[in-house]
Amino acid sequence: MAQRRTNGSKLLMTVLCVVAACRAVPVTDLLDRASQRSDRLHSLSTMLTQELDSHFPPIGRVIMPRPAMCHTSSLQTPNDKEQALQVSESDLLSLARSLLRAWVDPLLVLSSSANTLPHPAQNSISNKIQELQEHSKSLGDGLNVLSGKMGPAAQTMSLLPYRGGNDLGQDKISKLINFQFLLSCLRRDSHKIDSFLKVLRCRAARMQPEMC
Amino acid sequence: MLLLLLLLRFSGAGVRMKGGLRLVVLLMLSVESSSLSPPGKPVLLGCRSPEKETFTCWWKPGLDGGLPTVHRLYYEREQLEGTHECPDYRSAGSNSCFFDKNHTYIWVDYHVMVEASNALGNVPSDPLKFDVMEIVRPYAPENVTLMVEEKQESPYLHIRWKHPSNTVSRSGWITIKYQLRVKQENSNDWKNYTSGTQMGFSLYSIHPGAVYEVQVRCTLDHSSWSEWSNTTFVKIPNYLQNERPFGILVSIFSTIPVVAALCVLVTKRKYVKRFLLPPVPGPKIRGVDVQLLKSGKSEDVLGALIVNQNFPPMVARKDQMEEYLIVSDGGEWLLPAPLKSQKKKKSSFIPAGFHLDSQCKESTPSQVQENKDEMKSSSNLEQKQEFSGINFAAADLQKGASENFMQRLPNSGYVDIQRQENIVEVDGILVDYSRVKEVNGDNVFILQKENVPLSLDVQRREESMSEDYSRVKEVNGDNVVLLQKQNGSDDSFCTEKGNRYTHCTNQTQRNPHMTGLSKIGVCTDLSSDGYVDTIPAPSLI
Repeated sequence: MAQRRTNGSKLLMTVLCVVAACRAVPVTDLLDRASQRSDRLHSLSTMLTQELDSHFPPIGRVIMPRPAMCHTSSLQTPNDKEQALQVSESDLLSLARSLLRAWVDPLLVLSSSANTLPHPAQNSISNKIQELQEHSKSLGDGLNVLSGKMGPAAQTMSLLPYRGGNDLGQDKISKLINFQFLLSCLRRDSHKIDSFLKVLRCRAARMQPEMC
Repeated sequence: MLLLLLLLRFSGAGVRMKGGLRLVVLLMLSVESSSLSPPGKPVLLGCRSPEKETFTCWWKPGLDGGLPTVHRLYYEREQLEGTHECPDYRSAGSNSCFFDKNHTYIWVDYHVMVEASNALGNVPSDPLKFDVMEIVRPYAPENVTLMVEEKQESPYLHIRWKHPSNTVSRSGWITIKYQLRVKQENSNDWKNYTSGTQMGFSLYSIHPGAVYEVQVRCTLDHSSWSEWSNTTFVKIPNYLQNERPFGILVSIFSTIPVVAALCVLVTKRKYVKRFLLPPVPGPKIRGVDVQLLKSGKSEDVLGALIVNQNFPPMVARKDQMEEYLIVSDGGEWLLPAPLKSQKKKKSSFIPAGFHLDSQCKESTPSQVQENKDEMKSSSNLEQKQEFSGINFAAADLQKGASENFMQRLPNSGYVDIQRQENIVEVDGILVDYSRVKEVNGDNVFILQKENVPLSLDVQRREESMSEDYSRVKEVNGDNVVLLQKQNGSDDSFCTEKGNRYTHCTNQTQRNPHMTGLSKIGVCTDLSSDGYVDTIPAPSLI
């Protein structure tokens, strides 16, 4: 009986050790995975804007709202390389998470509008938006895990509510224009997220120059 | 004036003219160019940022207007008040504006326009609105080097290049991905390959002796692609000829031992065969002569076997006619179908221990099988030591037809009465029939033997097989059946062997102990699985 108990406790110890060791996925790995996903996100949003632009009414380009009207423009982000390199890691992560979180609702609106978008590439656009949603969700989960490892400063998030409503417009032109406007805002924000995460990845992987 | 201008231009461009003529034209022009005009509208060609830190804009000036024209670039920026002028007109060449790091901001919108002005007026161009993120386009990669490497007798092409100039990325601010294309010199078919962020690539599918062209380009953060790098050429040397004789030699030398082994195998095939397929030892049965077996006479063999085993002597049966009854112990009665309605309850039981459960030889193997199964199942029931009676098929009383057939009841052993010549197949069971003479009590049928054409046969058979069967003469007690040795009629008896019971025919006798017992034409054998094998007596009467 005593033999069994010692065996059982040994087993428990090994299991705990394995679990503890397994839990310690290095931050560099996590960052690498996250930046790969953000890269895919940005690639999708870029392709979307280009696809929509291919059959876009010229008048739309004129009356397009200014990018300052994006719902995420209130967030203070670095605007050039020097500024970006001076931001702390937790702030960079917090910015990325806030931006990502701000697009959950608008993506839903985009997704529902894409089904009835009056555009020849509507099907492809709809698929890409689906993919965008999936990647965005998994990236959000990954960043949550990361923020848990990087301290309380990384946990703070800014709220950037989307107030555009569920409807993108009644007529064809306004629908297309608002769709393109949202996509351009998304492209900008996805580029920001991608850049911040890649700067983070390079900074975290000092021993691995190939990450930069 | 326009015509003169055109003339001047053409002449200046192509044909050499005498200096004098040119001067004359110029003079005429200067006289006529009193009509000066504001400059033509310039056109903004575009802007480009090669590394996400600076950018340059170019424009194309409009027509001169005759007066010295100055072009100025003005811009407005999101999050910046007012209109500003270009910070640097020189660094990027003429008709360009260079924005350095301090003036370049990303993720903000720029509004840029160029204005051409001369003494007579200012003419603005169409504005250009952009975000630096959208105008990123790196330069082409540099220093593309090609090397033919040889590994394991298959040559491959190793391509290397450097990142484009101005892009020293050690901070993660930019991520460059490369793409290359390869074609053979004579064809027009480019093949594209993606290299990701690696600055090297290995191409394995190359033909020796061919000349290849390689170009590389890159993208920065999914921006527009750069231009293709300059073409680099490489010629693959002919390796294959050197390899061939060596390969031939190797293959020749490797086949020699194989051929030798084959020869050895063929010449010594007997030994090989003996080794691989050892002979099977012959059978060794005690007392049996192998030669006798080989000679093939089955009767002698059987006789030998039987003699050796001390079986009671038996003649091999040829076309056996067997009679037997189906005996059930399951409490159900075997009844011919028309008599089903007369199915009766169980009669009183025979004292425990008596289990009439027998099986005779049957003519159909299938029946044998089934019977044996039933035997086994019924022998299980034997444990209970209950006996409900003996049922047997009886002839159709009413009809007088010579058909009786057995119904096999589940979990019952049975004995089939069969006469081969009169066998009728009913429900897949070969049965023969005899006539019931009398019904005694609830569950006794006395079969009639004679006066039926069949019975003649029976009798005939009976005679022929007189020495082959015995009849039950008497049943004694619980488990003794006395078989009668002689042919035919009344009494017969048989003996018990072991725990098993034998069924005997008992034509007239009704054993008071066995009220349920009636006449049965039965045979059993006393072999180890519990029945006496005798040739059945023909019908009971």
